[in-house]
Amino acid sequence: MVDATTRFFEDLDRRGFEPVLVKTSGTLRFDLHEGPQSTHWLLQIDRGNVEVSREDREADSVVGTAPRLFDELVTGQENAIAALLRGDMTVSGDLRLVLQVERIFPGPSDSRGPRRVFEREVR
Amino acid sequence: MAGTNTVRILDGNTFVVSEDTGDIEATPSEPTGLFSLDTRFLSKWVLTVNGERLNTLSYDDLQYYEARFFLVPGVATHYIDAKLSIIRERAVGGSFRETLTILNHDEKPVDLQIRMDAGSDFADLFQVKDEILNKKGEIYSEVDGDRLRLGYRRGNFKRETVISSSQPARYDQNGFAFSVHLEPNEQWNTAIDVQTFALGPGGRDLRMGLRAHGTERLALEQDLQEWIRNAPKVNSEHGQVSATYRRSLIDLAALRFSPVSLGGQTLPAAGLPWFMTMFGRDSILTSLQALPFAPSLSKTTLRILAGLQGTRFDDFRDEDPGRILHEMRYGETSAFEEQPHSPYYGTADATPLFVILLDEYEKWSGDIALVKELERECRAALKWVDDYADLVGNGYIWYERRNTDTGLENQCWKDSWDSLSYRDGRLPGYPRSTCELQGYAYDAKMRAARLAREVWDDPAYADQLEREAAQLKERFNRDWWVADGEYFALALDPDGRQLAVLSSNIGHLLWSGIVDEDRAAKVAEHLVGPRLFSGWGVRTLAEGEVRYNPIGYHNGTIWPFDNSFIAWGLRRYGFAEEAATIANGILDAATYFDGRLPEAFGGYPRELTKFPVEYPTACSPQAWSTGTPLLLLRTMLGLEPHEGHLSVDPRLPIGMGRIEVLDIPGRWGKVDAFARGRMDMHKLSA
Repeated sequence: MVDATTRFFEDLDRRGFEPVLVKTSGTLRFDLHEGPQSTHWLLQIDRGNVEVSREDREADSVVGTAPRLFDELVTGQENAIAALLRGDMTVSGDLRLVLQVERIFPGPSDSRGPRRVFEREVR
Repeated sequence: MAGTNTVRILDGNTFVVSEDTGDIEATPSEPTGLFSLDTRFLSKWVLTVNGERLNTLSYDDLQYYEARFFLVPGVATHYIDAKLSIIRERAVGGSFRETLTILNHDEKPVDLQIRMDAGSDFADLFQVKDEILNKKGEIYSEVDGDRLRLGYRRGNFKRETVISSSQPARYDQNGFAFSVHLEPNEQWNTAIDVQTFALGPGGRDLRMGLRAHGTERLALEQDLQEWIRNAPKVNSEHGQVSATYRRSLIDLAALRFSPVSLGGQTLPAAGLPWFMTMFGRDSILTSLQALPFAPSLSKTTLRILAGLQGTRFDDFRDEDPGRILHEMRYGETSAFEEQPHSPYYGTADATPLFVILLDEYEKWSGDIALVKELERECRAALKWVDDYADLVGNGYIWYERRNTDTGLENQCWKDSWDSLSYRDGRLPGYPRSTCELQGYAYDAKMRAARLAREVWDDPAYADQLEREAAQLKERFNRDWWVADGEYFALALDPDGRQLAVLSSNIGHLLWSGIVDEDRAAKVAEHLVGPRLFSGWGVRTLAEGEVRYNPIGYHNGTIWPFDNSFIAWGLRRYGFAEEAATIANGILDAATYFDGRLPEAFGGYPRELTKFPVEYPTACSPQAWSTGTPLLLLRTMLGLEPHEGHLSVDPRLPIGMGRIEVLDIPGRWGKVDAFARGRMDMHKLSA
């Protein structure tokens, strides 16, 4: 079974272009630590064009989290900025890059968004 | 909040609020302390000499980042005999530093036990007014060699205060002490350094490598001098005007805030000290007020808010795609999602105001590159107005929080619970819609149309926006006009019923341009008429309304910032005399506050109280009150960017005398503006 994190990065790789990141360039590595094991995901972003690989090499910004938290971040169950403030996610290097990439994470799946008055009446 | 005898100093969002002795003894009613990143890092900081508390002879907050306290031992009635004086000098700039100097004036040597009690409750800024009995984490205090470490841990969330001294001290868990022997006329001193840490796993600080300006006192001083040097000079015959301007400029410098994520760029925070963070609405409106004097604030504000523009639906944060944020906070309650400020998006006006600021900024600066850079965000903002803000489906901006626990009930600038009412005083249901929001939407579309035509090369989009704006204007002038009062309703309810009270919001409508020409004169008449105008300024709610109260937060007080935009609106429609009347009242009021306008003051008639009665509030200076004299200068001088140059069309209040503003920066380079006062005009009846 493919986990949510892998699915997220595979989708991103398939899209190849992320409009929200059109002003963003740089490399961002995610280090997902579980005990002695670390999984790496590397994003190379060039004005919205995104390449995904699993290389463990130097990046402008390195994010560290537990794999389980990262699964929750990319499925909208957890929020990256709150996780960062909480210390559950760490960042070294360029924080701006992380805050830009964080915006492509989805919102909570149970969030309904704004609803018009008449839509509520028919519920 | 904090009492009147508190002394506040700050740098960025690190600040110290203390008693006038320099001591900190935080209680819910006296929320003093050392704060950084919305967390209290010191809640106790009490100096004693030989076990005795000290008494203040005087204190001096020299600059916004430093203060000095002159103290003697004993309580007030004893100090005349004091043979000892103690000077505490402190500054914030990254860390908090305090220098203690003790002088022996006696003919005999003395032996002194000097002690500082130190402790921290690590309260979140949102908790400082509550008794903190149930912190979920663990508070600790450790002596660590030549330093004292105070800390708080909750999971991976860790905040630490590390205290050290240049003179060797004896540390214990509750503070540190020195034994000092002083010969006659001898003095002793030590420099105490208090560092704050927001640590993640591995000991990495959240703010690592990011500072607003240099952390040294000298760097702060140079920064302030440069800030003043780069701003236009204001000379006035009416001496108070230039003094008020200078006060505003320095306060605006103090209010500059550098978000953790932006590597040193600054934008105006909302208010000192409790609101030293990003606020969409406050940062935008203050940037607009300051544009002729400090245009760099606008650029940063736009960039930062664009960088954090909403991208998804998140009901907890009231986030939607395209929405501009309301407030960002860094404390424990944000981190653990007990509060939604990571960031919170629940505001209905910041999104159209964002577009308005971009256009206004370009008109002054000619910074086409930024307009191109933010095209996408502007389009997303306008899409938010059309798609997500229209909760009733009738073409207006509405709001209703989805986070019903901790979200905001009122998402317009009048955000208190009872700020919107029908004529009979009842409060409306949800969703809610206030008039100025529709004005902002209209203005945002008109301004974006200009940008689309002139910069984005999309005339079809420009036409569409203008068409939509024209329809909105027509609809608005039909649905919101209160026929029997000849003004615009404060708000509508979802059934289309008017909240037909007379309010200051109609002034913002003039500023936006949504008012039909043939109705503007009536609106202007109301604004300077006896029900709204007190002699000092325009009341938030008119005298005679059921909920009117001269000290009702949004139901009768006068807000200087509100008045500055009203004056701008009056000038937009050609009511220069009425604008001057308001400018005059507010600038007169400023002289009663040493040039530092409060957030709000009472709506009592001027002839009744003779001086403006300050509304007791938590924050001073408040950013948009600080920006008010700047915008009033602009409206009095009629400064308007026009086809690449700056046009000047002064209309000064009577008795104002000559005003000159030198070196106004913009696409024209730097130009000067001069205005001569008038002696011979008869005053408007107020």
